[in-house]
Amino acid sequence: MDFRRIEVIFLIVFFSLDIFLFLSFRNSQQLVSSSSTNTSTVAEMKKRNISFGSLDTKSGYAYYLGSQPDNSLAQNISKLRNQEVQYDEDSHKITSNLNSTIAVTAADRKETMDKFIKRDMNVLFGKDYKYSPQLSTTSQMVYVLTRSLGEVYDKTAQLDFTIEDGRVVGYTQTYINSTIILHERQAVKSEKDVITNLYANSEIPNNSKIAYANLAYTKLLEAKDSTIYIPVWFVTIKNKDSKVSSIKKINAFTGNIIKSSTTNGDNYSAQ
Amino acid sequence: MKFSRLIVQLLLVVAVVTSIVLSFFIWTNTARYQRGKNIDVTSAQSNKNEIPMNQVISPTSVIWHDGTDQHLIYNSNDNISLSIQKVMQDWKIDQPKEVSKKDGAYYQKVIQGKNMLQLVYPTSIASSTFGYLLNNDSLKNDKGYTFNRILINLKNKKDQNVYFANDSNYAVYKAKVRNASAAPITKLVYKANINLKIRLDIMKHGVFTIYTDPIKLKSYSYVISGKQDGEYSTALFDSNSNGLVTSEDNGVYTYNYGESKRLISDHNTEELTFEDYTDTSVPKTQFAFLQRGYQKVNNLQNSVSNLRLYSADWKDKDLIFREYVEGFPIFKKSQFGSIRIKFSRKGSSEHFLNKVLEVPVPSNQAATKLKSTTEIFKGLERVGYSPNDIQAVEVGYQWENETDNEKVVDLKPTYYIKISNHWKPYNEWTNESAEE
Repeated sequence: MDFRRIEVIFLIVFFSLDIFLFLSFRNSQQLVSSSSTNTSTVAEMKKRNISFGSLDTKSGYAYYLGSQPDNSLAQNISKLRNQEVQYDEDSHKITSNLNSTIAVTAADRKETMDKFIKRDMNVLFGKDYKYSPQLSTTSQMVYVLTRSLGEVYDKTAQLDFTIEDGRVVGYTQTYINSTIILHERQAVKSEKDVITNLYANSEIPNNSKIAYANLAYTKLLEAKDSTIYIPVWFVTIKNKDSKVSSIKKINAFTGNIIKSSTTNGDNYSAQ
Repeated sequence: MKFSRLIVQLLLVVAVVTSIVLSFFIWTNTARYQRGKNIDVTSAQSNKNEIPMNQVISPTSVIWHDGTDQHLIYNSNDNISLSIQKVMQDWKIDQPKEVSKKDGAYYQKVIQGKNMLQLVYPTSIASSTFGYLLNNDSLKNDKGYTFNRILINLKNKKDQNVYFANDSNYAVYKAKVRNASAAPITKLVYKANINLKIRLDIMKHGVFTIYTDPIKLKSYSYVISGKQDGEYSTALFDSNSNGLVTSEDNGVYTYNYGESKRLISDHNTEELTFEDYTDTSVPKTQFAFLQRGYQKVNNLQNSVSNLRLYSADWKDKDLIFREYVEGFPIFKKSQFGSIRIKFSRKGSSEHFLNKVLEVPVPSNQAATKLKSTTEIFKGLERVGYSPNDIQAVEVGYQWENETDNEKVVDLKPTYYIKISNHWKPYNEWTNESAEE
């Protein structure tokens, strides 16, 4: 009788041990599977509802570029017609109010303004600029300067149109005439490196969309009367629900995330 | 009654067996899980934004014989030596065989060879190290041979060999190459935008690069950056600063981490010394020696893109790294270059300068025209140094702080001469300018 009772107790004990072991076995299985997907960050990002297009794994080369202050805007300012123009000597910037405003809609504004800037009497060196949907908002259309080595996303080389009530009322313009290569070419991080690095640093929240990822030159610092530009990845992350988007900047040489200090002129933090 | 007891016993056996099976699975499985995780962590850490090792340990000058003369070439937009290394990564290079040794006359003929392209390392490296840097399996296992020149014939299609030469013992080795073409290299050579006529001469203290004509070289400017002592101590002591004992004497700060590690920072000269008495293992192969040096350098500086291995003394386990600009070394006000690392059974030591080149900026200085090397030898002879006293001559960049902007440094070219183991610019030896 006693022996039978012991048997029953043993049965209960082993049964609960089995349940415990089974549960911990299943747990460790799950850990294994999660660690193996860890190696593929891209798959994990997809799982967290982060959407993006195909990521380029090719890493190219870029340069340190320098440019000297440039007066070509001031020299050619008399060519402009049908607008009130002001020129700021310090920032080498044109501020213009159009005499006849231009009606634009969200759909046709690129086409309309592309045509507008082609003429020298409307905008100086307009052919050198390209529309950037990434930097533009509903009230502002941003055109960036294109150079043979790449585009420049920077306040020192930009053409911004102001839109009020569906009409373009004026613009500001900065320009750099020539850039010189300061150092031999250096490898830059690929788009995939940059996106996975952002994700690893918890800069990409769940349920968001990578709307744009562009490599462009931007101002690093000013020294000896010259402006130095470095390649930087501009990544726009858009929240799928709130539709709020933010731009992250990554130094393409080092892969370091540049903490946003958009107002800071001497952006030495880019290191 | 009996039947139910049988069921209980049967169930008990099943439960025991299941528990054994499950325990077995868990044990084997956890082990696999943990191993997998470790691999993941190390691989993620190793490629953390680092400049690859074959850029830090790479040839610094490229010499090309165009059929009539030898030229030192450089492309200021695209580093030729790094690009050639990339091309060579696809080559199949067999194990090298010795051609000659200690024959100065033959050696001179080889390094002055027609249509030869030479990649020159500042210091000699082992063929196995070269194999690791190129990721070439047949060279990785090769042992014994060291060299500092790689020679490739770009014109002679029948010469399917790559030659290795060592200035210190005049040894020449040859290795058969397959899957190689000269065309991409020739293309890189013709893109060079700096082209200086030279002659390679053998003198008492070895091979000298002689600039036969006066040379015109650009000046450069860089924004320099330095770090606070605290940033170095966090990186070097790998722990917080709680255990630090600090003392100060005339601007020389000493940080002690227990008895095992010490950082000395001289704020007057901006030179730092780090000693690690726990790091007592001495590297056993040359590759391990260079690799450990490379890791230490990466730990010291944020950006090592301008840094090159300048000298590797295997006997004393002593490494020197220097910063380079456009293929020429930069001489700062220290005797040791930029970083000096020494391994020994008593511990390792790192000697380094706080100021590093960070960002290139346009220079407003005109190009400098330097005398020919023959003129330099004559000038040294006038003050009593015979060519036999001269251990080495090198065109390098002198570090000049700008008086009005201490964040910017100007780099001006000049001749550096090594006599009785001391590097000094030409004007300090002779009181005479090296400029034309």
